[in-house]
Amino acid sequence: MAFGFCNVLPFSSFLDENENGLRWSCMASHRVGPVGETGLSDSGPSNPHVPYSVFHGSNVPTSFINQEGSAFDFRELEEAIVLQGVKIRNDEAKAPLFTGRPAATLEMFPSWPMRFQTTPRVGSSKSGGESTDSGSAVNTFSSKAEVQLESESPISNKASSSDHQAFDHQKHLQLQQQQIQQEMANDRSRAGPSQNQSDVKAPQEKRKGSGGSSSTSEKQLDAKTLRRLAQNREAARKSRLRKKAYVQQLESSRMKLTHIEQDLQRARAQGLFLGGCGGAGGNLSSGAAIFDMEYARWLEDDHRLMAELRTGLHAHLSDGDLRLIVEGYISHYDEIFRLKGVAAKSDVFHVITGLWMTPAERCFLWIGGFRPSDLIKMLIGQLEPLTEQQLVGIYRLQQSTQQAEEALSQGQEQLQQSLIETIAAAGPVIDGMQQMVVALGKLSNLEGFVRQADNLRQQTLHQLRHVLTIRQAARCFLVIGEYYGRLRALSSLWASRPRESLMSEDHNSCQTTATDHLQIVHQSAHNHFSTF
Amino acid sequence: MHYQTESWGSYMPTRSANVGDPLERIERLASENAVVIFSMSTCCMCHAIKRLFCGMGVNPTVHELDEDPRGKDMERALMRLLGNSSAVPVVFIGGKLVGAMDRVMASHINGSLVPLLKEAGALWL
Repeated sequence: MAFGFCNVLPFSSFLDENENGLRWSCMASHRVGPVGETGLSDSGPSNPHVPYSVFHGSNVPTSFINQEGSAFDFRELEEAIVLQGVKIRNDEAKAPLFTGRPAATLEMFPSWPMRFQTTPRVGSSKSGGESTDSGSAVNTFSSKAEVQLESESPISNKASSSDHQAFDHQKHLQLQQQQIQQEMANDRSRAGPSQNQSDVKAPQEKRKGSGGSSSTSEKQLDAKTLRRLAQNREAARKSRLRKKAYVQQLESSRMKLTHIEQDLQRARAQGLFLGGCGGAGGNLSSGAAIFDMEYARWLEDDHRLMAELRTGLHAHLSDGDLRLIVEGYISHYDEIFRLKGVAAKSDVFHVITGLWMTPAERCFLWIGGFRPSDLIKMLIGQLEPLTEQQLVGIYRLQQSTQQAEEALSQGQEQLQQSLIETIAAAGPVIDGMQQMVVALGKLSNLEGFVRQADNLRQQTLHQLRHVLTIRQAARCFLVIGEYYGRLRALSSLWASRPRESLMSEDHNSCQTTATDHLQIVHQSAHNHFSTF
Repeated sequence: MHYQTESWGSYMPTRSANVGDPLERIERLASENAVVIFSMSTCCMCHAIKRLFCGMGVNPTVHELDEDPRGKDMERALMRLLGNSSAVPVVFIGGKLVGAMDRVMASHINGSLVPLLKEAGALWL
């Protein structure tokens, strides 16, 4: 069974019982100053999560959790209790037995798993009126301890909650604490009747066996020395562990640093650092960051839906089935326009400057997205064969998108002109502020333009769906998806293309010719486009 | 637009044209020409919509509400009519309400705008 203990047990003479006992006593000798002595400082290995309980003295709160360990030498506990009692009596003047360590428990008996880490406050609420048994004992020990103690004791007191032998042990502990209170010094009669942990074999046996220990002081001396030694060992062990953890942390940080430096180098080479432009420095607003994430997810969905389109076309699905897939793809685009609308409300600059796009796409940016007439231009050659009516429809669509684009562009130009006048006209301070306010008002119109541009894109896609047959529409959307996929791939290729500036200083290696460049690019392009 | 005229009709004749229901005024103005745009001189989206019609070869009648003494009332009425946060631009074709910028553009893309214009006599081809 696992046992942990959170108390100072000045007994370390029983070290050699077993490994666990040894460990225990190591812990035991940890911090607790022996009764009546200043004892060891509690500078030993301090597991911050280990709750401490201070029963005596201000300087030696020690609680140690030994979560492993099975057998347990109860004699040591007994001695500890005794010494505790002695100490308490001696130090009655000292009220706070706590040194304020966290989650102090009155667990003097390290033979049961300590749950104080997880239940500290859980029990405290229940502990209010329940700690009848432990109440007195608890109160006696420490006013502060009470708070934490209650977390343990009431749990133990509640038979219902003792689904854990720890609780039983705790209960036993309580009673024993009581007895320390009542029978100080040499009272060896651990209250048998209160023991209800039938599952604690060793302690009981040991207890009975230890009933006759005599020279407490003798053991105390030995205990003290041994405890000190054990404490040192423990401290050394803990500090080794800490050092190891720290070194590991350093190593991982170093790796991370080199990665970041590489990314930085690559990004610089790509020329993204244009005078500290918005997104490059990672200074994304929350709305922008959220949109970027949503866009990344949208791109994944895009791949998936395109695969569906592709398989649907090749499988020669019925028109009805294909229609479902096509409608799904259109809804997919409706979704990104909706997301862009939301993002434009919170960060219009992020959307309208296309920071969420790849650089190659951004070349063709028009009010926060693709230009619908460009799309039609791209599609015209790829949609054949078209009926006469369909051709007319496509050309009409091309014309209307061009007209709408022209209108929006001119509206945006007027906005820009008006902004220039407003910002340039800033006069003396007061007027200047006013001008800024006016400028802010004008900037707010940008969101409307993004909204209308996206509306135009959406209507264009819907109209394509209406002009074409379902099969043609499926092919059309597949072409659109592939087109933008290639554009995105172009950005990656461009970024990773070999350039002389990135080559080593060695002149020999710089002798890559243009054809070499092309070959390298061609190869990677080949890899990229293998899916198309 | 039929919904308001009757209720106001009872006292309409007794009032002068200047003290009219803004919505009625809008209605009246809208039916005076084939293509009527309610706009504001400072609004850039209104500029865009004007450019759209001009680019199509249409010559719309534009009422700048910020230059109209009763513009404020009309602006409010339009807002209520459209349910939009912004009153302008609003387009009427052949006396019938088409809508704001998004509706106009959508109807242009889906091909319903041109027939409407032809029907109203704003476009000949």
